[in-house]
Amino acid sequence: MKVNVDKTLVASIVLHVLVIGWGLLTFSSKAFIAPEESLPIDIISTDQLAQITNGQKTGKKEEPKPKVEKIAEAKPEEDSVGKVTEKKELIKTTSTPDTPPPPPKPVEKPVEKKPDPPKPVAEAKPKEEPKPQEKKPDPAKEDPIAELQKKLDTKKPPPKPVEQKVAAVQPQQQPKPKERSFDPAQIARDLDKRAATRHELTGTALNASASLGSTSGTAANNVATWQGAFQGAVKRCFTPTYNGQDANLYEADIDIPMRVDGSLASEPVIVAVRGPSRSIAQAVAESAKRAIVQCQVYSFLPKQQYDSWKLIPMTFGLKDML
Amino acid sequence: MNRRRFMTLTGSGLAMLGGGRAFAQQPQGRLRIDPTEFRPIPIAITNFVPGSPADGDVSNGVTQVITNNLKRSGLFAPIDQAAFIERISNIDVAPQFQNWKTLNAQALVTGRMTRQPDGRLKAEFRLWDVVTGQQLAGQQYFTSPEYWRRIAHIISDQIYEQMTGEKGYFDSRVVFVDETGPKERRVKRLAMMDQDGANVRYLTRGADLVLTPRFSPNSQEITYMEFGQGDPKVYLFNIETGQREIVGNFPGMTFAPRFSPDGQRVIMSLQQGGNSNLFVMDLRSRSTTRLTDTPAIDTSPSYSPDGTRICFESDRGGRSQIYVMAAGGGQAQRISFSKDDNNATYSTPVWSPRGDYIAFTRQGGGQFSIGVMKPDGSGERLLTSGYHNEGPTFSPNGRVLMFFRDPGGNGGPSLFSVDISGRNELKVPTPGFASDPAWSPLLSATAGQ
Repeated sequence: MKVNVDKTLVASIVLHVLVIGWGLLTFSSKAFIAPEESLPIDIISTDQLAQITNGQKTGKKEEPKPKVEKIAEAKPEEDSVGKVTEKKELIKTTSTPDTPPPPPKPVEKPVEKKPDPPKPVAEAKPKEEPKPQEKKPDPAKEDPIAELQKKLDTKKPPPKPVEQKVAAVQPQQQPKPKERSFDPAQIARDLDKRAATRHELTGTALNASASLGSTSGTAANNVATWQGAFQGAVKRCFTPTYNGQDANLYEADIDIPMRVDGSLASEPVIVAVRGPSRSIAQAVAESAKRAIVQCQVYSFLPKQQYDSWKLIPMTFGLKDML
Repeated sequence: MNRRRFMTLTGSGLAMLGGGRAFAQQPQGRLRIDPTEFRPIPIAITNFVPGSPADGDVSNGVTQVITNNLKRSGLFAPIDQAAFIERISNIDVAPQFQNWKTLNAQALVTGRMTRQPDGRLKAEFRLWDVVTGQQLAGQQYFTSPEYWRRIAHIISDQIYEQMTGEKGYFDSRVVFVDETGPKERRVKRLAMMDQDGANVRYLTRGADLVLTPRFSPNSQEITYMEFGQGDPKVYLFNIETGQREIVGNFPGMTFAPRFSPDGQRVIMSLQQGGNSNLFVMDLRSRSTTRLTDTPAIDTSPSYSPDGTRICFESDRGGRSQIYVMAAGGGQAQRISFSKDDNNATYSTPVWSPRGDYIAFTRQGGGQFSIGVMKPDGSGERLLTSGYHNEGPTFSPNGRVLMFFRDPGGNGGPSLFSVDISGRNELKVPTPGFASDPAWSPLLSATAGQ
């Protein structure tokens, strides 16, 4: 008995089987990826977000902007080249986030935090920011990063929050492969930015009060200038009358207490008088006192150096009168 | 690189800190002021307030005398009263010092003249330090109305001493030779006046020629040389009584007398033959002691203020020069040496009351100069020069010299004064020609003697 088989039918069946089998295989793989779609997403309003991100008065205050000292410690830019070892720490950071108690809220935040700078940045920055900078220069980093990604892939199933954090970081890490290309200009740019920050802090944070001249200038330290000016001012009013013999022996030491505005804080004090005649020496001293009082106020004295002329000791002599 | 740069910056920063510290330490040393320019003290002298309308003239007179004295001293610059902002009507109320500061006055004088019920005149004055607002002096005096000028001089001395530290010289007199008449028949009289030229009194009538008058230390007597009958003689003249007497009775001519500082002796020259030597006579015992014995002309002796030494002129070296020796005689040391003219001569030395200088007349280069030098001959300074300057005499405080200058020709000599620094040369007013001035000690200082 001979069975007549239609060859076309057979071909059709075979093709269908192949198609169906391919489809089963294909759909089965897509269904395997599906679990990612089960991410829990809560939609919250901006008000809610504001409340969430609101700080608590009773909460710990964050330290203000880093002071100069800290920036100075971070200076050694050269180390950035050799910070390959620190990348291992980066790995740790990605794995360690499990230990810190990240409440469920922060986990959700990252999703919507993209527009919001405040908290997520504060939390993530200290750990994540250094990474891209360090990774850029190092071509050798490829291996650890690849391994890290593989590890991350394999670790995906266990703790979802961790994955989310990584996922949140990923958009920042995506450019990483591009950064791997060594770019000296980018390094220079980073270094310049740091320098600019340091100068800004030096000018504003350290010297809030206004002052004459630049904070780093030395012109104001020119003591000889105010001394000469002061001598000239007093000399204008000094009218000694003795020019006889031994005029060079007559001297009067006078201390002049000053106010910061250049006026006399009190009457000049005659410390000592010298000369063959006590009465003439005393008259020289009194004449000098009159000159000091008469010629005030000495407003040209530099206020920022008040300590140096708070008490001006002077000697009045007659050695050039003859 | 960066690290090296950081270290460099740090190093320079430390250096700046160190430098700043060094600057801060500089004021530890005293600043010095040594003025080279002399400027008189600006002083405001207000009109003395009259106690009654009748005292107006004497009040204005006192103010004028004080102003004139201080101005002529060269140490003060009285401010023109037309510039005064404040009018002083009560000297017992402190002035508004700001009004006087505006005028740049350093001192202010206020005063009052009041006639007392007993006819005496009461003079009060206050000297204010305008800058500090303190009263520097305040005095009152009583005197007969005719002595109001002397009160003005005493007040001037108070102001002078308070502001300069030196004794004043305004309350003093000058004795001089008054010259009148044509040159060939010149009448010379002994005259006396206040140092400012006021109150001239003639002590002799001019019948005999008089020369070189000198005050006694108490200002009550004058010794001088007079050409009378016979040889010229040294006389003593008592100002109060008008009596005169010859000092010693020597066979030759005596001249150039001068009192010792204690007033007990008179030193002079005695001419014997072609020579003259120095002698001293004790006025109480009338005993005479020879001090020099040389075949030369020794003359113009003058005691040092302490009476231990004598300066005089002598030509024992060939030319007239100044010598110094002990008051009791002995070895004399020449102190005058001209640096620029070997032919210059020095004469009429006189020792300063302060003892710091010896004034002299120097003749050289066709000119007569008045100068000063230290007692050891150093520090010679010529104060004025001209055709004929001669006969310097010191003010009581040794600060001013008076001398006479003869321009020559048909004119006659006049008196001039100059500060020992050579500044402020002024003509002293006299009624006529005048020569041979001699300044008295301070009258107020000798009042008790």
